[in-house]
Amino acid sequence: MAEVQGGMKPSLPTSGNGGILGSLFPVLPRTVLLIVPVLFVAVLIIGPLSIMAAVSFWTKTGFTMKPDFSLEAYRTFLGGVRLSIFFRSLVVATFATLIMIVIAYPVAFLIARRVRADLVRSVLFLFSVPFLVNYILRTFAWTDILGRSGWVNEVLLWLGVVDAPLDWLLYSQFAVYLGLVTAYMPFMIFPIWLSLAGIDRRYEEASWMLGEGPLRSFWHITLPLSLPGVFAAAIFGFVGAFGEFAVSTVLGGTGYQLLGNSITSALDVINYPLAAAMSTFTVGVMAVLLTLWFRAFDLRIFLAKILD
Amino acid sequence: MSKQRSSMEHLLMWSFFLLVLVFLYAPLVPPIIGSFSSADGATSAYTEILRDPVLMNGVMNTLLIGILVAVATPLLALALAQALRAWQRPKLILTLVMLPLFVPGVSMGVATALFFRVTGMEASILSMVLVQVLWCLPFATLVILTAMSGFDQVYLEAAHMLGSNPMQAFFEIELPQIVQGLFGAAIFSLILSFNETIRTSIVQGGENTVQTYLWSQYQQIGLSPPLYALMTILILLTLGLIILLAVLDRRTARRAS
Repeated sequence: MAEVQGGMKPSLPTSGNGGILGSLFPVLPRTVLLIVPVLFVAVLIIGPLSIMAAVSFWTKTGFTMKPDFSLEAYRTFLGGVRLSIFFRSLVVATFATLIMIVIAYPVAFLIARRVRADLVRSVLFLFSVPFLVNYILRTFAWTDILGRSGWVNEVLLWLGVVDAPLDWLLYSQFAVYLGLVTAYMPFMIFPIWLSLAGIDRRYEEASWMLGEGPLRSFWHITLPLSLPGVFAAAIFGFVGAFGEFAVSTVLGGTGYQLLGNSITSALDVINYPLAAAMSTFTVGVMAVLLTLWFRAFDLRIFLAKILD
Repeated sequence: MSKQRSSMEHLLMWSFFLLVLVFLYAPLVPPIIGSFSSADGATSAYTEILRDPVLMNGVMNTLLIGILVAVATPLLALALAQALRAWQRPKLILTLVMLPLFVPGVSMGVATALFFRVTGMEASILSMVLVQVLWCLPFATLVILTAMSGFDQVYLEAAHMLGSNPMQAFFEIELPQIVQGLFGAAIFSLILSFNETIRTSIVQGGENTVQTYLWSQYQQIGLSPPLYALMTILILLTLGLIILLAVLDRRTARRAS
């Protein structure tokens, strides 16, 4: 016994070796190693956004701009043709988001509940791959598919379904919605799947055992619990469509503009305060939606799978 | 009876998946066909790229920027993920790093362009790298966080009790376990960098990447076979990198199980 105790003793001072100084010193460089990159990223993200907000109150002088506190840029934005582009963007983004959710939700639901567990990763992967190919390239491609002499019209003519090529396929509202949905929807499936997969199935089983049918269980249990993911996906799709520039240019036809085009056109005439005002407004819309998201939902449920 | 019903359900489900996937994948095909529809032979569109100095310059810029982004982003993302765990402020750091994901590309481009202008930084390769790092960071951080969540922190405590300091414990115990996640984040960043247009084009200055060149050419004169050939190369390169990512992911998953 005495020998064992004697053998234990030397190990005690080792664990307390160096006292406070010793345990503080190795912590210090690690904290610095973390603080520097975090600050760098914070400056790189917050810096541009706040400077943009500031510039939106500046005034344009010739080819440059000067610091000011003026609402001129916002007046130009809200009092002219740009206002109608703003309203169009609002309507188009809202409907596009609804369409995307109507497609993405069932896809995510089926992946979470019906696809065999060992296939889930692969199926999610299949749906995510197109998102990684630049959506501008994909948007170019739609012109070849939907044009008057495009694939769809050729097949329809060959089948004898139509006598003359359809001309509403391209340079139309239809083309814009199709472009927006295929551009942003692949990315919406993942967050919805994430929140569906994180739901404790016992809630649904309890609802079943208490006599609710599958539809009512879905409506009262599954759907509400999956809302954090749906809302995150919706913000992503909505903000993307709202500030869109490429789909509208390529698929909307001559003169068709969304807010992104309005912003780049302000850049083209070197009106930085105006571009800043419209961008700030867009970011503001996003910030409001994101704040609502944070307020309404417990993020820990949504992020449980990632943060553990 | 119920077996019949479930196989019917499965058929319906996979048909639905197939329909959505057709819409998502269809746009990947026309550029490939377009690149071979050149009047004088199939390969000429590809050799024309090599002969065009402006295009080749764009290709070199794209590669250089891609590599810089793929090195810088995972390192920053690793620091963010470690800080997130060490400081116990997941909400704050995640909100910060996820922000660029929710800001439309045009707005983020305008914001960074003004930031560089006001701080007196010239538009250059560096400004293009920075704006792309911001865009890749949310994805890279999520990839690394996922890798870190598969690592049991008990090992760090064990290392601490055996007398190693946090830095040693990180480099000798945790890093080897999550290094696959770092590679994954790097490939992911490379893919996103090769496929970024609008943020880059607003801060590009005089330099072009393949993507910004494609976009400006489309707006000025439209697309030609060599441009289709470039799009084809980008699409195939992206798909190749995605397959690499999938292989890496599978290997990590197998090792974990």
